[in-house]
Amino acid sequence: MVLPGAKNTLRRRAFFVTGIKALAGLFGLGLGIPLAGFFLSPALKKGRQEWISIAEVTQLRDGEPTKITYRYARKDGWRMSETRRMAFVLKQADGGVMALTNRCTHLGCGVDWNSVTQRFTCPCHGGAFDAQGRVLEGPPPKPLARLPVKVEADTIFIQDAYA
Amino acid sequence: MSRIYRFLDERLNLGPLIRGIADHEVPAHADPLKNLSAMIYCFGGIVFFILLLQALTGVFLMLYYVPSPEDAYASVNYIQNETSFGSFVRGIHQVGASAAVVMVSLHMARVVFTGSYKKPRELNWIVGIFLLLVVAGFCFTGYLLPWDQKAYWATTVGVNMVATIPLVGDFLADALRGGKEVGSLTLVRFFVIHVMFLPAFLVFFLAAHFFMVRRQGLSRPL
Repeated sequence: MVLPGAKNTLRRRAFFVTGIKALAGLFGLGLGIPLAGFFLSPALKKGRQEWISIAEVTQLRDGEPTKITYRYARKDGWRMSETRRMAFVLKQADGGVMALTNRCTHLGCGVDWNSVTQRFTCPCHGGAFDAQGRVLEGPPPKPLARLPVKVEADTIFIQDAYA
Repeated sequence: MSRIYRFLDERLNLGPLIRGIADHEVPAHADPLKNLSAMIYCFGGIVFFILLLQALTGVFLMLYYVPSPEDAYASVNYIQNETSFGSFVRGIHQVGASAAVVMVSLHMARVVFTGSYKKPRELNWIVGIFLLLVVAGFCFTGYLLPWDQKAYWATTVGVNMVATIPLVGDFLADALRGGKEVGSLTLVRFFVIHVMFLPAFLVFFLAAHFFMVRRQGLSRPL
């Protein structure tokens, strides 16, 4: 037996079910989006790029990369931390200056310049690069990264890759 | 969604389980659709909802918060001013804490005025008192964590109140503070009590609370 109005009752119930689901969804989004944004916040943040003075042009050796260690204050979450980094600076044939990071492009170990073999070698997995940072052998997939560099009044400035 | 449910139900026979949890009649006297004042029976549920919200926002706040005297204030400041939605997430946690206390009070008032604490529900009232203490504990320990002046002095005063208990007061206060002064040890233990010990107690007592409500049903009003 179908009760009179049964059809309406069902529609009313369906209406409430949909309404409750919509409300729950709205609430879920209202909470989910902020929480996800909160979690991802550091990954979405853009670092500020600043020019860091690292050396004088007169310090550079001719013909091969010069290792330069520099320090600068970096924002690390809620605190400032002094970071020590290394770059290789090379005078180019055209008189310009090129700066390479010492981070191996394979998995991020620190490469060093070997003046005997005239190549950068990575201690971790045997990657090797030439003075221009091009891959000579081993697993690195691409050349050493070049840092933005400028020279003003014989002082060399770079922008750190991980600022 | 319903296909996923069917898949699981077919294999795990979820039906009876879900009916056991969710499918029960709301007694007429507690049905706000029949009588709006029956909303007073929602207070406990609202407390539970707020506690879920507190747990969720609390877990996320721990992503950035550091419970050490050097870092605590700076990390809270970082949450508040430098993360996306940080002030919103922390805002929910802060307002939620006050809301929880308000709703707990209303829930208890409802239980008192409907006489629901009487036999056979005395045990659930007692469990409820423990829950009240747990919530108060959350408030007290959470208040210290921003490590600003208000936090520091509120905790100093609060712990000194404990010290007025005859005989054991001083010892209890030292145990709570981790020493004679509010300091780094106090901050760490309040943090750990806030995020580990109290949640464990909360889950235990809430489970008991809900189990008893379902076994005994809602009381009739006086």
